[in-house]
Amino acid sequence: MASGRIQVRVPKDLWDPSETEEGVIANWFCEDGAQVEQGATIAEVAVEKSTYDVIAPAAGSLTIAVPQDGVVQPGTVIAYIAMG
Amino acid sequence: MPSSRKLTVSRAMSEAIAQEMRADPQTFVMGEDVGAFEGVFDSTLGLLEEFGEERVRDTPISETGFIGAGVGAAMSGMRPIVELMFVDFIGVCMNAVYNLAAKNIYFSAGNCKVPMVLMTGTGGGYNDAAQHSQALHATFAHLPGLKVVAPSNAYDAKGLLTTAIRDDNPVVYMFHKGLQGLVWMASPAGAATEVPEESYTIPFGEARTVRSGRDVTIVAISMTVHGALAAAEELATEGIEAEVIDLRTLVPLDRDTVIESVKRTGHLVVADEDYRSYGLTSEVITSVVEAHPDYLKGPPQRVAMPDIPVPYSRPMEDAMLPNAERIASAARHTTGRG
Repeated sequence: MASGRIQVRVPKDLWDPSETEEGVIANWFCEDGAQVEQGATIAEVAVEKSTYDVIAPAAGSLTIAVPQDGVVQPGTVIAYIAMG
Repeated sequence: MPSSRKLTVSRAMSEAIAQEMRADPQTFVMGEDVGAFEGVFDSTLGLLEEFGEERVRDTPISETGFIGAGVGAAMSGMRPIVELMFVDFIGVCMNAVYNLAAKNIYFSAGNCKVPMVLMTGTGGGYNDAAQHSQALHATFAHLPGLKVVAPSNAYDAKGLLTTAIRDDNPVVYMFHKGLQGLVWMASPAGAATEVPEESYTIPFGEARTVRSGRDVTIVAISMTVHGALAAAEELATEGIEAEVIDLRTLVPLDRDTVIESVKRTGHLVVADEDYRSYGLTSEVITSVVEAHPDYLKGPPQRVAMPDIPVPYSRPMEDAMLPNAERIASAARHTTGRG
């Protein structure tokens, strides 16, 4: 089983920051420290009134870097997943 | 991970509907903006994509037509889930609800079933004015033949909606907009909860004691459960231990749990976001005093909306909502400590 720590990012091309400066974390669906499965919906990012589901890129232990209501931009690291 | 997965109320509702639609091809959804828009309060997330336009049907803005059609579909053997976007819009389609859905099982001596869910957004607190902010719980609970549900959190929202869809009677499922977990409307921290992925049901008519206490019973439902819990925290710092009961369903009403609690505490506060007069608050209090006039050691308290249209003005609306401050004040008053 792979081990290590990977970043969970807001996709770089999710929106154009020259038009809309920032988004927010609308919801976390897992607690800090929770075990998540690859492919699970772990957070929801809101930009204007649109939302985007953040999917866990790997299974492992979640460390939240940006809390609920925290401001994000395209590419922001919002969490880490420790694998293995 | 199922054990630690949290869902908003809106996602819990959408998941319940999807699971029931997978299990029974006769189950379908219709309403205004339930398809591509996935519900203005996110109650039909992902359903159009999975089930298509035949089973997730966007309707015209004609509640009279499509809620009547829902009753007919239910009586023809289907299991419709019909969304009335705001409960405030019930006026134009009330005949289908209270004269048809609620009475046709009785009229047919039980030969017809009406397995229809009318799900509808309730409540204020976000300055949407008098025609988009009402709870109207008692308007439905008053009418024989309807079951009435109003969840306070995501776990209950999924289990109660699954029970509602499987019920052969018409069920009015009243979800508070401010509990949905919408990105544009803040919801209290306790609304999103851990929710099992597998399907489960919660029986109607079973209240849940969400906090134990010896001094006063606070009975709440839907949004007021969160106000009651916040009030209980505040009261605890003053030495008043409040027991908080979430009714979860108005019909059937779990009178026994309330009576058993009041027998121990001797004091009763009932909090509801519906209007004060002729409402749930009075019904709960009467249920106690009618059966046990000797249980109460202080005057029972109703914390509800005053009998006026809900104001658009933020300070005016805030002043009338049955919030934690008003609930705590009522608890101090009835226990003689305020």
